[in-house]
Amino acid sequence: MANSKKYWKGFDDLIDSPISKSLAENEFAEPLPSTDFYGDEKKLESSSTSRRDFLKFLGFSTAAATLAACEAPVVESIPYVVKPEEIIPGVPNYYATSIFQGGDFASVLVKTREGRPIKIEPNKDVAFNGGTSARIQGSILSLYDANRLQEPMAGGDISSWPEVIKATKAAIEKANNSGKQVLFVTQNIISPLANKLVGQMAMQYSNLHHIIFDGTSFSGKLDFYEKAIGKRALPTMNLDNASLIVSFNADFLGEYTGQSVSSTYAAKRKPGKSMLRHVQFESMLSISGAAADNRYKLRASEQAVALAYLYSKLGGAVSKPNVNESTASQLDAVAKELKAAAGTSLVLAGGNDEASEAFAFGINQLLGNVGKTLDVANLLLLHAENDAKLSNATKSLASGKVGAVVFVDVNAVHALPKSLGFTANLDKADAVITLTDRLDETAAVANYALPLTHFLESWNILHPTSNTVGLSQPTIGKLFNTMQFEEVLLAWLGEDKKLYDAVKETYSELNLDAPFNTALHDGVVSKEVAAAAALADVDYSGYAKAASAAVSSGTEIVFYRSTALGNGTYANNPWLLEMPDPISRVSWDNYLMVSPSKAEELGVRNYTESNGAVNGDYVTVTVGENQLENVPVFVQPGLAPDTVALAIGYGRTAAGKAGNEVGVNAATIMNGLQHWATGVSIAKASGKHEFACIQLAHTMMGRKIVNETTLEAFLNDSHESWNVKTKFETHKGQLTASETTLWQAHDHQTGHMWNMSIDLNSCIGCGACVIACNAENNVPVVGKDEMRRHRDMHWLRIDRYYSSDMTEEVAEEEGIRATTKFLKMEIASDNPEVVFQPVMCQHCNNAPCETVCPVAATVHSAEGLNHMAYNRCIGTRYCANNCPYKVRRFNWFSYENNSDFTAVNPAQDDLGRMVLNPDVTVRARGVMEKCSLCIQRIQYAKLEAKKDGRKVRDGEFTTACAQACDSGALVFGDINDSASRVAELKKDTRMYHLLEDVGTEPSIFYQTKVRNKA
Amino acid sequence: MHYESPVREPLILGDKSYHDITVDVAKPIETTAPKSWWIAISISLVMFLWGVGCILYTIGVGIGTWGLNKTVGWAWDITNFVWWVGIGHAGTLISAVLLLFRQKWRMSINRSAEAMTIFAVIQAALFPGIHMGRIWLAYFVFPIPNTFGSLWVNFNSPLLWDVFAISTYFSVSVVFWYVGLIPDFAMLRDRAVKPVVKHIYSILSFGWGGKAKHWQRFEEVSLILAGLATPLVLSVHTIVSMDFATSVIPGWHTTIFPPYFVAGAIFSGFAMVQTLLIIMRKMFKMEDYITIQHIEMMNIIIMITGSIVGIAYITELFIAWYSGVEYEQYAFLNRATGPYWWAYWSMMTCNVFSPQFMWFKKLRTNLVFTFIISIVVNIGMWFERFVIIVTSLHRDYLPSSWSMFSPTFVDIGIFIGTIGFFFVLFLLYARSFPVIAQAELKTILKSSGENYKKLREKGHGHH
Repeated sequence: MANSKKYWKGFDDLIDSPISKSLAENEFAEPLPSTDFYGDEKKLESSSTSRRDFLKFLGFSTAAATLAACEAPVVESIPYVVKPEEIIPGVPNYYATSIFQGGDFASVLVKTREGRPIKIEPNKDVAFNGGTSARIQGSILSLYDANRLQEPMAGGDISSWPEVIKATKAAIEKANNSGKQVLFVTQNIISPLANKLVGQMAMQYSNLHHIIFDGTSFSGKLDFYEKAIGKRALPTMNLDNASLIVSFNADFLGEYTGQSVSSTYAAKRKPGKSMLRHVQFESMLSISGAAADNRYKLRASEQAVALAYLYSKLGGAVSKPNVNESTASQLDAVAKELKAAAGTSLVLAGGNDEASEAFAFGINQLLGNVGKTLDVANLLLLHAENDAKLSNATKSLASGKVGAVVFVDVNAVHALPKSLGFTANLDKADAVITLTDRLDETAAVANYALPLTHFLESWNILHPTSNTVGLSQPTIGKLFNTMQFEEVLLAWLGEDKKLYDAVKETYSELNLDAPFNTALHDGVVSKEVAAAAALADVDYSGYAKAASAAVSSGTEIVFYRSTALGNGTYANNPWLLEMPDPISRVSWDNYLMVSPSKAEELGVRNYTESNGAVNGDYVTVTVGENQLENVPVFVQPGLAPDTVALAIGYGRTAAGKAGNEVGVNAATIMNGLQHWATGVSIAKASGKHEFACIQLAHTMMGRKIVNETTLEAFLNDSHESWNVKTKFETHKGQLTASETTLWQAHDHQTGHMWNMSIDLNSCIGCGACVIACNAENNVPVVGKDEMRRHRDMHWLRIDRYYSSDMTEEVAEEEGIRATTKFLKMEIASDNPEVVFQPVMCQHCNNAPCETVCPVAATVHSAEGLNHMAYNRCIGTRYCANNCPYKVRRFNWFSYENNSDFTAVNPAQDDLGRMVLNPDVTVRARGVMEKCSLCIQRIQYAKLEAKKDGRKVRDGEFTTACAQACDSGALVFGDINDSASRVAELKKDTRMYHLLEDVGTEPSIFYQTKVRNKA
Repeated sequence: MHYESPVREPLILGDKSYHDITVDVAKPIETTAPKSWWIAISISLVMFLWGVGCILYTIGVGIGTWGLNKTVGWAWDITNFVWWVGIGHAGTLISAVLLLFRQKWRMSINRSAEAMTIFAVIQAALFPGIHMGRIWLAYFVFPIPNTFGSLWVNFNSPLLWDVFAISTYFSVSVVFWYVGLIPDFAMLRDRAVKPVVKHIYSILSFGWGGKAKHWQRFEEVSLILAGLATPLVLSVHTIVSMDFATSVIPGWHTTIFPPYFVAGAIFSGFAMVQTLLIIMRKMFKMEDYITIQHIEMMNIIIMITGSIVGIAYITELFIAWYSGVEYEQYAFLNRATGPYWWAYWSMMTCNVFSPQFMWFKKLRTNLVFTFIISIVVNIGMWFERFVIIVTSLHRDYLPSSWSMFSPTFVDIGIFIGTIGFFFVLFLLYARSFPVIAQAELKTILKSSGENYKKLREKGHGHH
């Protein structure tokens, strides 16, 4: 049998010898030395491993094992079970979409990573509003706002959608059937789908009234155009052929009708013979006023009469009204210029009064600008509000004729001016239904609160101008149990239709050429525009009377939208709250801006604490019967005589953890929906207000920081006279800093040399770059208290300087002592010229920060960048001290988990963390950080080029700030690519480096600002 | 045999014998502590613990607990650091430089001056550590082999030079001090009655036997260490000053800093020695060893270095004007007339004007007056560093970033804590170490003791 077979190991085994037996018994052939070893004391003592050694080894291995056990906590990431086809981890996807929120429309690209939208980028292929403002850039954060309403609420309790739809529909029906009114209060609706559905609702419910309110009303303007062009819409501005803009209180670069003109404005303002000239008459200092070549102060109440004066001066058929002497001479000069620029000029009026708009339009008509710079065929459809309707609705509400009020994304309780009396009578309605993104002040008094989706979760079709149709598509599934307005309408109408289908259907109804999918891909399609209707005759004498009647003496107050919050939609957005106002440089606040002389008159002041934090006094502001208490005062130059200003949208009590108790609510004292009010009385109140103002010194102290010249000098003089290079006296004669440097030059010829050009002529200070940088680079939000202590973390800031009456020349002429001179230089002029200067890490090639870091945590790259190795940084802050530009930012606290920052830093909750850019590290406490010129984008572009086996193309990618800059002030690229735009800009005669004489040789350079002064 | 000239004042007063010196020096250690000592150490301990609390709070929460901001990245931390390093200059100067110059009057004060040096340097060394955002990575500043690849420290950084300068200075000072202590520990060992104490002192005295060979080696080592320590006196503060001098910040970027800082350091160091010795000689009744003559000599040094510092201040102003650099000119105008004018003028008053009183013999031999001035000088020197650091940073190149600084309770707490720590160390030292280098002092008893001088005068008439 096979398995009984035996093999012998040898003959000994076969014969079963004793040796073999004993071997089989012992496991080891030879005796092991272990017994001797352990047993023999002598041998033990002679061993090289002593007891001490043993203990040492034991101690070491225990310590080593202990140390090895101290590993960082493991964070699990779960891979896709089935990978979605279009998602490659680490590779972003971009989707085109359209935004209309808080009165802002934009066509954008949404960057998503692993299915999360993380960044909004401009859609630059689009003609109308393809850029992004600070608010559009910041709007992505609101998607991940933990304070969003997550479930439908009925009577303060969580309910379900079928139930609330049923209940709300019943409430609407009940009101309608009992003969009472149903009020639909919405923001402006530019969705043809929503308009169609609201129309269907109105057909179903005959007592339904649709009221529009979105914070800033242009009803007066619309009233005029209804008469003049027969449509309730505003004309669009067209600066392509403009050579002169005269604006009266119209902050068209900032907060105006919603049409963004900054890119064409900047393009037309390139210094040269045909440089666009801009004159601004305004009551408060806006960013448009800051950009203007000549800026004149004009009281808001005198705006209409000034326009009437100009109208008459240019040959308009009204008698010349009286205006004060200085304004008259300014207007006379402007009239001459306007005449010379007939057909290429544009006169704009701000405010919400019909007369001003009528005269502005009249002037444009007289000059032949209509159809050229002012387009009445292609209309702006962002506004359709009607103040008369609102006041009628208020009357009905007050008399108990309203059964149900439906608010759609309108926080009426907070935002509707108290003087209208709407909210005071809200309790007279039987049912209040609010569609809202959060449990705001209105939701608190509403019977039902229906959560709205964010636009990044929505389908929609938008029609912002006559020739533009935009599509919105969701970039992420709904985060919460929310519905969008159109969905709710469909549910109310009982239509069982998917939103996508409804949008597609509406799209096809518009009869556009492009297929739906193409439109979706591009984001926007154009639509043919009907020719402009003939202009109707307008009765100017009536307007002239109104204009003269509007003039008022006494204090007046201007209500404006702040650059950060707009109409207040973003009141709980920490990025935007933390963005310093371009003009005042105050963040986390609104405040009553008063001129220095008015402040003196009122006995109020701003003062600095010993740590550099700014405080201000409080005042009580009374307009008519309404009073606003504890309004902080901020002293601000550039205001018209006896004019104060206050931003709307602040003072929320139920905005969310970041936005509550920020500022005061201007709606309390607003004069209806007018943009200003007269007959204001202001009284000093007790207490001090703590401001988060990050700029203490407002003037350049006679230094060459923003280099500025006039167009005349630019055109006629050698650039050496207006772009002066500091020369040092040496034994070799006069040399510049770069010629006298002791540094060994880096090799800047091999490979890339990244440079950025910042055109101070194009920068309008809008702050889009600041927020874009926040989003791209995971810049922490630090909150008011830290901002107040000048611990802002912004990698990119926009410095704002005012001109001062005291200059080196004046001091020399008048023989003023240095100490007095410097003290006076600190004081801004009464009507200062304003300059903006974006400052980020200058990426010095002779970097002062690099030499002083003891651990070489900040080092120079071969590509002209200054790197920051966070892991190596020990936080001595020596680099920040030695930085002449003060652009380095230190992590004073652990912003991502210190409980002091829970309310403000979105990165502290799981939801807010979703906005973080996975390509950029979140920096630890104690580490220095700063602008990297978006190193992650550079690397990505280089890798892409490498994969394709080509060079990186100019303009293929850019930094977040440059991408966000609508006016094209920031241009990034490789100067070793001689064909690149940045290489060309480096050779420009306007080019200079900031603090050139320090010899830092930065990779960032600036272009001299040129003012086209009269 | 070397005799001292009879015209020189005796350095040891009273009719002292060798044994008297032994007894006097050993007394504070062998007797129970006076009540004043207990009060002093209690206060110091409370201050110290408060400081420890503030340091732990800083490390636990972040540097944000201090009053710094994006513009002013250093303030009290580095002010205190430079201040304490400066104070730590007198000891080595007295023991090393004066040894090389054979200044025998140093012998009764060098021990305590050196102790003060070491304790001050300990305080100073704290600050570069705790001012770091990530102190747990402080070892990154040492050029040690590491697993980070070929990652090396940045030898261009003055902060790194500081690491070397301070650690070298500290180690040389400790060794020098300790070598001097050996024969004195042996003396204490020989006198000790309690076995434990005897054992401790015998370990500390390294088996000193007082043999001729021991003395010869002792002298040699002292001389070599003095030679090593002397350049360090100059180098340490030179390097500290380079933290500022090599930067680009107006008000820091100043070539005068090295000599100016060294003079200032010696100035403040001597002032601190005065403060401590005036208390100590009173507390331990050592008036015969630390005489008015010592006080006067040190006052003269204070006066001279104070004047050097004053000249440096004026030179800075002149150079700022002469340079024609607008930033530099503004920086100095701002110092004197800007928001921190009070700091500048406190510095000027304390450092430049107050030492000028020492021109009067009556004032410089007045103990109370000296004591007051010694404290005033150190206040002034603290302000000097504050002025240099904060007023230069708070308004540098770009007005948009100008800011202010105000300390928080943590800033203040840490500073108070280091003062407490310093005095805790000094008070413990005074009760356990021979506060006067008695072995050395005995070598001059016969040449410079009051009694012997008188005897010699009588016996020889003139010599």
